[in-house]
Amino acid sequence: MSASDCHRPEFAHPAEEAFARILDFYGIEWEYEPRTFPLEWDAQGNIVEAFAPDFYLAQQDLYVELTTLRPQLSTHKNRKLRRMKELYPEVNVKLFKRREMRDLMTKYGLMQEAGQIQGTGAQKREA
Amino acid sequence: MTENWLTVYKELAPDISGILITPEELQQRVKEIGAAISQDYAGRNPLLVGVLKGVVFFMADLLRAITIPVEVDFIAVSNYSTESRQQGVVRLVKDLESSITDQHVLFVEDVVDTGLTLNYILRNLRARKPASLEVCVLFNKPEHRLVDIPLKYTGFDLPDRFVVGYGLDYREKYRHLPFVGSLKPQVLQGNAKG
Repeated sequence: MSASDCHRPEFAHPAEEAFARILDFYGIEWEYEPRTFPLEWDAQGNIVEAFAPDFYLAQQDLYVELTTLRPQLSTHKNRKLRRMKELYPEVNVKLFKRREMRDLMTKYGLMQEAGQIQGTGAQKREA
Repeated sequence: MTENWLTVYKELAPDISGILITPEELQQRVKEIGAAISQDYAGRNPLLVGVLKGVVFFMADLLRAITIPVEVDFIAVSNYSTESRQQGVVRLVKDLESSITDQHVLFVEDVVDTGLTLNYILRNLRARKPASLEVCVLFNKPEHRLVDIPLKYTGFDLPDRFVVGYGLDYREKYRHLPFVGSLKPQVLQGNAKG
């Protein structure tokens, strides 16, 4: 069952909740952080770094990662995404960067949310 | 020529950082698409369907570039604005005036970005069992695509910037500009803060 059919998850950032509502509005099924991809292991084989994309759109077989980080603060996330492509080339991940998120919110008339992104220095929690 | 158009629209020019596609380039590409449609749909009397409001500029020019018999109709859907989101889901605000069952339908759209609206409309039209259903889009923004939709005809790939003109709006402004221009970031930022 998709997250849009049952109780809503606890979103890490208001922009994620706004994005989920847009998907609901257009009838797109989504899941919130359904899978974590290991990226780095230590010598004992323990996972030391992983990446959990924010959304999975099952009908599109697409993972979506949203970031409201300023470009200069998103180096770590960009590195994770590059590592994702190396290790899991068959997995489709689309990244919406800070400006793209702002434009998306503007496009859908969410001026308040767009303004919040404008003033956000960093996400509350990085995946 | 770029400076000339910004001079003509001098009241809006301060909001525009530059012209990306000139009126001449738009008209040339629309003529090419019209010629391709005339060839591909010869003898099939297609129905061109557009979704209001942004498509009216492209539709008007495209129809005049098509040389075969065609029909035209429009639909309108609620977008994700403050009022509409209270309804929970997208709604058909204006429906087609006649049945499209067994008709060759070409859906005409000004811009496809995430594909969310287009995906909803195509699902709706497909359920009415047209003989065929294809998509013609003037402006394509593939970077933001969330739903993969086959496009039979495309005009221009747009850069990942907020652009206006030739049907594209920002808060209902700038649609009537005969060119496509990029909006200055401070226009977006100013309204987002306000």
